[in-house]
Amino acid sequence: MAENVYIPKLAKIIEIKDEVEGARAIRTFRTQFLEDGFTHDCGQCAMLSIFGKGESMISISSSPLEKDYLQFSILKSGRVTSSIHALQEGDILGVRGPYGNSFPIKKWKGKNLIFIGGGIGLAPIWSVLQTALKHKENYGKLSLFYGARTSKDIVYKEDLEEIRKDIAVHLSIDQEEPDWNEFVGFVPVNVLDKKPSPKDAIAITCGPPIMIKFVITNLEALGFKDDQIYTTVENKMKCGIGKCGRCNIGNHYVCKDGPVYSWAELKKLPQEY
Amino acid sequence: MDKILEKKSLTNWLKKLTGYDVYAPVLKDDLWNYEIISDGDNLELDYLNTVQAPKKFIFPQVENLLDFGSSDEGTPEITETLPQPNPTVILGVRPCDGKAVILQDLVFGGEFTDPYYWNRRNATYLVGLTCNTPPSPNCFCTSVDGSPHSQEGLDILLTDLGTKYFVEALTDKGRKLVSAGQALFKAPTAKDKKDLEQVKTGSEKKIKRQIKNLKKVPPKLKDMFDSPLWDEEAMSCLRCGICTFLCPTCHCFDISDEVTSSLPLKGHRIRTWDTCQFPDFTMHSSGHNPRPDKASRLRQRMLHKFQYFVEIHKKYQCTGCGRCVSLCPVGIDIIEVLDKVRDYG
Repeated sequence: MAENVYIPKLAKIIEIKDEVEGARAIRTFRTQFLEDGFTHDCGQCAMLSIFGKGESMISISSSPLEKDYLQFSILKSGRVTSSIHALQEGDILGVRGPYGNSFPIKKWKGKNLIFIGGGIGLAPIWSVLQTALKHKENYGKLSLFYGARTSKDIVYKEDLEEIRKDIAVHLSIDQEEPDWNEFVGFVPVNVLDKKPSPKDAIAITCGPPIMIKFVITNLEALGFKDDQIYTTVENKMKCGIGKCGRCNIGNHYVCKDGPVYSWAELKKLPQEY
Repeated sequence: MDKILEKKSLTNWLKKLTGYDVYAPVLKDDLWNYEIISDGDNLELDYLNTVQAPKKFIFPQVENLLDFGSSDEGTPEITETLPQPNPTVILGVRPCDGKAVILQDLVFGGEFTDPYYWNRRNATYLVGLTCNTPPSPNCFCTSVDGSPHSQEGLDILLTDLGTKYFVEALTDKGRKLVSAGQALFKAPTAKDKKDLEQVKTGSEKKIKRQIKNLKKVPPKLKDMFDSPLWDEEAMSCLRCGICTFLCPTCHCFDISDEVTSSLPLKGHRIRTWDTCQFPDFTMHSSGHNPRPDKASRLRQRMLHKFQYFVEIHKKYQCTGCGRCVSLCPVGIDIIEVLDKVRDYG
């Protein structure tokens, strides 16, 4: 009999890292399947379960090239994500998936890749960034724009310092802080300020809906075409397999037909996300 | 396989269906609902339509997806709870509700097959009854590619010919049920066949409500996403969701965990019917809501049924049963809304 699509596999948390403290805390969890797991592609998501609390759809932020664990960076927000934040290393949770389409990285050979993230929105594009970094020879120039509300809200701090050795990293925070030497202002403004060239480039962006909107506007102003801009969308999800009916944008179920869209594809759908 | 069953033999046939749970419409407190028939005596198929479609037999309002618990060491333990229902005969399914099952099949099949749905679906035998007269003043099946004698989704279609039923066994499942009552079924005469055609043709003409030129609606909806029509139509909506809960084709659901014991942890992960008409259906945990008002939710119901589903499956996700029209507490009428869409601008 075919596998029951609603039954999660069990996975153990092998590492927890505090990224951001406070009311909007973010933690990164690395998990290992107890038995057979699954492999994923860049941009795909998984449904995480805490039994007795429920399920939540989370982007897989580790590269598919990383075979030892799956990584999830989770903003403490509702009941399920708060329960995940309460877990310790060694605890077990449920994982089903992987769900959705993926970034068409095979089509991006030789291209300059510009990553643009805001807040927790760095996590969904992190798997592509990590994959590109591991195969730098396949791509042109890589660069990253990343912004958060304050310097304390920046995720992957150590990793960002590490990748700075290899690629241009343009950080920003929303308001002035005493020891901040980088850009102050919103992410879309930072992009406009640094003027990345659209020539042979692909821009990959994720963040709050309002940020994505202005990033796209500003990329268009810089001459990026609709099919050079990619984003990943999120919506409330329950099933992950296009049946429960809530994550649709027009005739697309984000869980199954998304979450990755080029702006050329996304602009054809109703603007309801 | 075409047969004739005398009405007085209906009960005898049902008695021969040993090993099946047989449900038929029963009137209770002014409402027709499917109930198990333990004793088929006095059964008369003279009902209008049931308040709820037989959808619940295949896609129940609450389905247990799994049981969870934990070992002594605290490791979660999962038990699969796939339903293994008795073979179940639903007698007296209106053709609109039979057709709805075909539309549900499209949703619960496909790339990700839903085993809970299919276990129930495969155990369910649908015996339909032609609507010689429309069971509701709001029937409009003929506008949505259906008919009062549609065979779609049914295993058997019965047609009332006065003192007897014309029995069309349409699938292997249907033929199996007829075989169980073998001697009770006779071959139809030429006159029976002629009567059948007459009743069927007559039944179509009795449908009062119509959406003319519905074909024009799906392409038109595509350009009406930002129309003020949705605000106007949704003004009186109470967001009760009855239109979707009674709809034989609506399939949206929620999944949640129900804890029966906290120490040691025990409980069920359940799937329950949900509706696009509730505000929190789409609300993110951040508070952001892609469909924040009644207008966007009414629009979703209309567009899902008459644009998105058509784009994906080439069929309307509506069978014209009229339940949402008859039972909306504020009189929102899908036929009127679609008429307005067609004539808009």
